[in-house]
Amino acid sequence: MFSKKRIELIIEKPAFKRACRVFEDSGVTGYTALPCMAGYGNGNRWQRGTDLSASRDMVMIISIVDEDLLPKITQQLENLIGAHIGVLSLADVQVIRDDRF
Amino acid sequence: MSLDLALSTILSPIVLFFVLGLFAALLRSQMTVPEAFAKGLAIYLMMAIGLKGGVEMSKATLGPDILILAAVAILLSFLIPFLAYNALRITSKMDRINAAATAGHYGSISIVTFVAATQALQYAGIVTSGYMVAIAALMEVPAIISALLLARRGLSKGGEVAGSEKGELFREVMLNASVVVLVGSLIIGWVTGEQGMEKISPFFVTPFQGVLCLFLLDMGLSAGRGLRQGWRDLNVGALSFGIYMPLISAAITAGICKALSMTLGDTALLITLAASASYIAVPAAMRLALPKAKPSIYLTLSLGVTFPFNLTLGIPLYILLAQWVVS
Repeated sequence: MFSKKRIELIIEKPAFKRACRVFEDSGVTGYTALPCMAGYGNGNRWQRGTDLSASRDMVMIISIVDEDLLPKITQQLENLIGAHIGVLSLADVQVIRDDRF
Repeated sequence: MSLDLALSTILSPIVLFFVLGLFAALLRSQMTVPEAFAKGLAIYLMMAIGLKGGVEMSKATLGPDILILAAVAILLSFLIPFLAYNALRITSKMDRINAAATAGHYGSISIVTFVAATQALQYAGIVTSGYMVAIAALMEVPAIISALLLARRGLSKGGEVAGSEKGELFREVMLNASVVVLVGSLIIGWVTGEQGMEKISPFFVTPFQGVLCLFLLDMGLSAGRGLRQGWRDLNVGALSFGIYMPLISAAITAGICKALSMTLGDTALLITLAASASYIAVPAAMRLALPKAKPSIYLTLSLGVTFPFNLTLGIPLYILLAQWVVS
């Protein structure tokens, strides 16, 4: 087993493409995006699909990366969630195939 | 006659289905319209209204009066946010960025309010021009530029947001789904004319009213949920803005229509367009351009306050105002 870092970014849907560009430009080998159903933050509840603009929807992006990439990508993602609604978290994970990440 | 018109508008199936959705959401009913289905309905309605407008345009000649009307519509969309911004700042003490983002919504238009007004006029036997769909499309974007100009002074000189790309805002504004579908369908309707429309009318004309009812049921649910979730961010001044701003825009536009000697139907539609607020194109653009602005403020106002007001009381009022102006 090999040690890696798991990045989990929950971000408002309008900034989804910006987040994708950050991941892609930083050299990650892959990421997966999931729609978020509903949530609560800043004293407000939100729910997916409340309006047609989808501007209150949130998405989650998960990526597993090598620790060397972490400083560059977290700096960029910190900038992104400084402007947009979002939450960034990191976790230690174990993977089977080292060459995939 | 005027009261009959107002009552028939308020008691039409489309308005009543909207009210049903609104109350269902406010009473926390579990009723939902599947998300993808609702988006499909929105595309269908924009295609239908675009095609219908295009076919009507193919029968008419584009004269200087239409070009003047187009210029006036663009100017209205551009200038209303400046008025809305100052009104918001004075009555609600809202900060500059949120006031600018909200003002942008009130300069742009709601195509569903436009469709509902078209239906109300049709029920009343009042004729409207097909090119009003093009006028609606023209009024979608200029307000976004005004909002950005208004917010510029309130923005700190920070660097670019990570992941930003040149031209992304332009793409979002000019190529958003509602603009592409509406303008595209309008052109298709214009090119193919009545003959083309005959072939697709069983899909786009006959079921239109029923689909509109279904869509407005969903819009009622959206408006109710938006209001329930976002009202805490709004004070009395901001909430009242959602009602008085459409009335101010309507009054100004009525004066302009009088000066342009427009027909009754077109006057009612232009007043409705100016009084409506966007909740599709502008919110998406604002999230990219002004991410610090709170969607719970501008969406609650445009979708949760102004849209229900316009659909239930606003449209009959605007038709009565148009009748008064034209007579």
